[in-house]
Amino acid sequence: MKKQQTYAEIMESRGIDRREFMKYCSLLSVYLGLGASGLPKMLKAMETKPRIPVLWLHGLECTCCSESFIRSSHPIVADIVLNMISLDYDDTLSAAAGHQLEAVRKQIMKEYKGKYILAVEGNAPTKDNGVYCMVGGDSFLNVLKETAADAMAVISWGSCASFGCVQNAKPNPTGAQPVHKLISGKPIINVPGCPPIAEVMTGTIAHVLTFGTLPELDRLGRPKAFYGTRIHDKCYRRPYFDAGMFVESFDDEGAQKGWCLYKMGCKGPTTYNSCSSMKWNGGVSFPIQAGHPCIGCSEPNFWDNGPFYSRLAAVPFVGTDSNADRIGMVAVGAAAAGVAAHAIGSAIKKKSADNDNEE
Amino acid sequence: MAKLYQEQYVWRLPVRWYHWINALSVTILFLTGIYIATPFLAPSVGEATWYHMMAWIRYVHFGTAFVFLANFLFRMYWALFGKDPYARFAGFKPWNPVWWGQPFKDQLASYLFIRKKEPNYCGHNPVAALTYFLFVFCGSIFMIFTGLAMYSESNPDGFLNGLFGWVIPLFGGSMRVHTVHHLVAWAFVFFLIVHLYAIIRHDIMDRSSVTSSMVTGYKTRVEECPEYAD
Repeated sequence: MKKQQTYAEIMESRGIDRREFMKYCSLLSVYLGLGASGLPKMLKAMETKPRIPVLWLHGLECTCCSESFIRSSHPIVADIVLNMISLDYDDTLSAAAGHQLEAVRKQIMKEYKGKYILAVEGNAPTKDNGVYCMVGGDSFLNVLKETAADAMAVISWGSCASFGCVQNAKPNPTGAQPVHKLISGKPIINVPGCPPIAEVMTGTIAHVLTFGTLPELDRLGRPKAFYGTRIHDKCYRRPYFDAGMFVESFDDEGAQKGWCLYKMGCKGPTTYNSCSSMKWNGGVSFPIQAGHPCIGCSEPNFWDNGPFYSRLAAVPFVGTDSNADRIGMVAVGAAAAGVAAHAIGSAIKKKSADNDNEE
Repeated sequence: MAKLYQEQYVWRLPVRWYHWINALSVTILFLTGIYIATPFLAPSVGEATWYHMMAWIRYVHFGTAFVFLANFLFRMYWALFGKDPYARFAGFKPWNPVWWGQPFKDQLASYLFIRKKEPNYCGHNPVAALTYFLFVFCGSIFMIFTGLAMYSESNPDGFLNGLFGWVIPLFGGSMRVHTVHHLVAWAFVFFLIVHLYAIIRHDIMDRSSVTSSMVTGYKTRVEECPEYAD
């Protein structure tokens, strides 16, 4: 095995001077939410840590995570993160294919046992031994378990790998399960979103690569730096929410003036992500800024929390799609009807009791 | 046959205060909650800086929620440590088959028109006690936990989130917690209708004055007594 280069050496060999390197490190530490005090740690890590190989698996997915990732907007971050990663296996991006590529995966798993990072895009169907997603002649379920066994850490890209997304929405015909339900005993980072924001992906992977540890995670295994607050908490339309000024339909005056999209079904108040602060495509815009309510794509079960354009979630109720208000009104109506019927019964009972007393 | 009426002091002041503070706060919480989910009154002209409608209603909802919580905790203290035989948990033992015995069966039978006679109880009748347990006790705890979990979301590293944040993943995300909180809010309205009907019915059927007892504290004990022969 040849000597492993450090990140600093790789960058130097690619013609990046010290000044640019320092700029990159400070930028990265800001991205990771480390602040000024994190810079020395970042520099040290970059100068001493060897490059870590990444195996990037694709299961049941649509490749939107990869599409997002390769569009990481900041040129330095995009360039260097892609250089930083020794992306040894990625069946979508690799030039090699078939047995050749599978051999590379096996080789990395052997040579870097317990030292490589497994990035998973998509999830695995579990029904019928996982036949609904086959990779290189084996089920993705087996490939995932086999590759995860010797990984240092697992990164679950996107809502599919993190929470299941559309594949495991009801009725989940293929029995698709997110990565954390299939792999145990490994540190797993969930990076949900459909897709996740490019800078969130690069920021997360850069943290793991530079420090060799997991970023601080919340209860759902998401990096706190990017999923710490809800979209609603930092939404620039929040003043309209507080004022009670809501868009009522997509072509009304409120929509033109950019009022709050809450009544149009915006899931911003229940969605943890960085869209309203980091935005998309290099800080150009994000759905709410474009006049569309947030659909909550980075939340668990987001397909089953619909409809997208209604604030109240659909709740299945005796075979129909209902919501909390309708069910509540039916229950209250039933109570009122029951009470009325009972009152009639009681009146009859009282009458007969009075008659008994008179006799 | 004549009836004998005897006044008895049943609901002491702490119970009555709890009842009315609870009734008022649940009403405010339900109405403001419905507004928060479906903001029906909204300013249609002007600038956002002129208004504070949603923020104000949310403020009332959260403020009232803390009154509701404090009141509930006070009632729990009174139920556990108060020297009040009619307000203590001590008598309420649904895990014990004895509790489901004759008094419960009699009351249920009389509600179902199976039993002719209307039984009388000084404190809660067993069927009523069961509905209070399910709707008021369990319902309040459910609303407190889900409510505080959602309230704590605005400060994810705060004290409240440390205490109640686990509720969010338990239900599978923030949206699910909002939905169940909203659903159970309707259970309180359901309870209100049944409760109001039951107390008015009791007043008419057995003259035990349960309705006014929550104001005065006195219930009337009604007993059949044989007529005196001259």
